[in-house]
Amino acid sequence: MNAFLPLFRTNYRDFVRDRTALFWTIAFPVLFIGIFGIVLGRGDDGASYEVGFVVEDQSPQAATLNEVLGGFEALVLTRGDRETEIAKLADGERRAVVVVPQGFGSSISRDAPLPLQVHFDPSQQTTQQVVIPVLLRAFEVADRALTQTRPVVTAEFETLQSERLQVIDFIMPGLIAMSVMNGGVFGAIAMVSLRERRVLRRLSATPLPAWALVGADVTFRMVVVLLQTILLVMLAVLIGGVSVKVENLPALAGVAVLGGLAFVAIGFFLGAFAKTEQGFFPIAQVVTFPMLFLSGIFFPLDTMPDWIRPLVSAMPLTYLGDAMRQLMVGGAPVHSMALNLGVLTAFLVVFFSLAVRLFKYE
Amino acid sequence: MSTPVIQVRDLRKAYGDLQAVAGVSFEVAEGEVFGMLGPNGAGKTTTVEILEGLRIRDSGEVGVLGMDPATSGREFKRLVGVQLQQVALYPRLRVHEVISLFGSFYEQQAETEELIALMGLEDRRNARIAELSGGQAQRLSVALAVVNMPRLVFLDEPSTGMDPQARRNLWDIIEGFKAKGMTVVLTTHYMEEAERLCDRVAVMDHGRIIALDSPSALVRENFAEDAIEFVSNDGLSANDLGELAAVTSAASQGSAHSIFSSDIPRTMGSLLDLAQERGAPLEGMRVRHATLEDVFLKLTGRTLRD
Ligand SMILES: Nc1ncnc2c1ncn2[C@@H]1O[C@H](COP(=O)(O)OP(=O)(O)OP(=O)(O)O)[C@@H](O)[C@H]1O
Ligand SMILES: [Mg+2]
Repeated sequence: MNAFLPLFRTNYRDFVRDRTALFWTIAFPVLFIGIFGIVLGRGDDGASYEVGFVVEDQSPQAATLNEVLGGFEALVLTRGDRETEIAKLADGERRAVVVVPQGFGSSISRDAPLPLQVHFDPSQQTTQQVVIPVLLRAFEVADRALTQTRPVVTAEFETLQSERLQVIDFIMPGLIAMSVMNGGVFGAIAMVSLRERRVLRRLSATPLPAWALVGADVTFRMVVVLLQTILLVMLAVLIGGVSVKVENLPALAGVAVLGGLAFVAIGFFLGAFAKTEQGFFPIAQVVTFPMLFLSGIFFPLDTMPDWIRPLVSAMPLTYLGDAMRQLMVGGAPVHSMALNLGVLTAFLVVFFSLAVRLFKYE
Repeated sequence: MSTPVIQVRDLRKAYGDLQAVAGVSFEVAEGEVFGMLGPNGAGKTTTVEILEGLRIRDSGEVGVLGMDPATSGREFKRLVGVQLQQVALYPRLRVHEVISLFGSFYEQQAETEELIALMGLEDRRNARIAELSGGQAQRLSVALAVVNMPRLVFLDEPSTGMDPQARRNLWDIIEGFKAKGMTVVLTTHYMEEAERLCDRVAVMDHGRIIALDSPSALVRENFAEDAIEFVSNDGLSANDLGELAAVTSAASQGSAHSIFSSDIPRTMGSLLDLAQERGAPLEGMRVRHATLEDVFLKLTGRTLRD
């Protein structure tokens, strides 16, 4: 039986030729993420970056540095003392802090130049990609202004992980988890529609086994969910400026697939109760809508009243969102990763066996 | 004499209070084209779909290709071809894509392009199903019924929605199936189709077979006589016509009348007299042999298409 590939291809064709499906699975999440990215993003429009400038030395050389750096339009210098500026960096309000240490001027005269200290958060990608190069360029210019002979301005880099995730870092993994949920649950529409149009009935007159039909469909939905996740993570980085933990991306893809499978199974299960495509929407909405608000996608779970906790714990999106947030941006865990994966697997197994039991050709 | 391809004994199927199939028995021999004629709701589709394994019977014995379609599953479905009364296919797929998809469900499959040519769908090859006309979709549906080159094919009103040319082509195609030794079970509302194609015809009404024989034998058994047909707008009733000389039976459908006569000249003479006496106009008068349609009307009191 080699009907699997033709069926998979059929699903693909049916999908890409269906404008509505394309809109809801691709265009809508992209718009959604795009809008959140623009509104909440870190404002990485490339115009200027706030850099703390701490001068602990009163020499003319330090004044020259101050002048040169101030002349760079890409840098918005805020002058302050070391402690406040570094605290602001930790809060995400500064991209970097440049410290001109005491004795800098005299060290140059003594021919043993002290390095400048540059503090930055390496998880902020734009800092690494834009701000540091601008600073290095500024140091070069300053070098030439101070002496014509040998380089005297050197820098020592110190990294500081900013503790607090910004709103955008919190929201983006949640939105992507939400898209996985919608892609999975609403992906079951295709099968409901085939049943409604009696295509399944026609298929049941052929020797095609049900597992091939369902298997090809589930596999196709998985691929869609995976591609959707990759696209959205890229958008979150490019538009929202979310700093993604690159080393976790394979694990993130794995979790997206597991979550996608669990939600496809839930979708198939719900699909068994709908006679028509029109009838499927309200059922799927009733199930997915509360999860949007109660699974910690938009609002952190610790802000929710206690009485609502049991409901929150019963929602698969809670675990998918938490797992994706941990992996994508290193968010603080609500549950252990093992619990998250275990619960998603349990949802998958339970709803898939229910869906198989309830599956009908007509 | 080989065992019949299909054996049905006292088949019954009810939907609630409605006895859709009320005790039907028949056999279909290898290589035969077997027709089922009957008005809407007679139980043709229900019977055929039980034989296809798509519906479950309430009672009775059914053997198709030596198997019970209700329990034989995929083994059985490999061997038969099915065309359902309602065309139901992926609306966004193209014609050739659907044919290859269905072909992939079987080990033995016909060449996609050959089927397209056979059904005269060459210029619609790349059209989406949703864009096909009713008759074109019907032709595709017939093509899918033979995509596995089956020994036995069920066609449920295959010519519905086809233009006269396409219908005649379909008849040639079905005769081609027969020539290859395939067994065909066919339901239809077209008397001409049944007369031309079927070796035997079962006339169904209210869930029962009320006559079963070859088309010519059915006509012979029911009508030893020829028919006079005409249209008359007023003044003549079936009762009046039944009184005419040498008339065996008369049937009227509004202003269209058919009278069956064992002696055409005598009946004709008395009909003309009656018309003159009543001042009733006689239009489009012609004499013809009795047909299956007449048989049907006589047996069921209804025309094939209501
Ligand atoms: N699934 C069903 N549920 C309830 N009643 C049904 C069902 N299928 C058929 N019937 C009823 O059974 C009777 C026989 O239907 P069937 O479709 O077999 O007739 P048919 O001879 O094929 O008619 P047609 O010429 O219109 O196709 C009809 O009265 C129909 O309403
Ligand atoms: Mg029917």
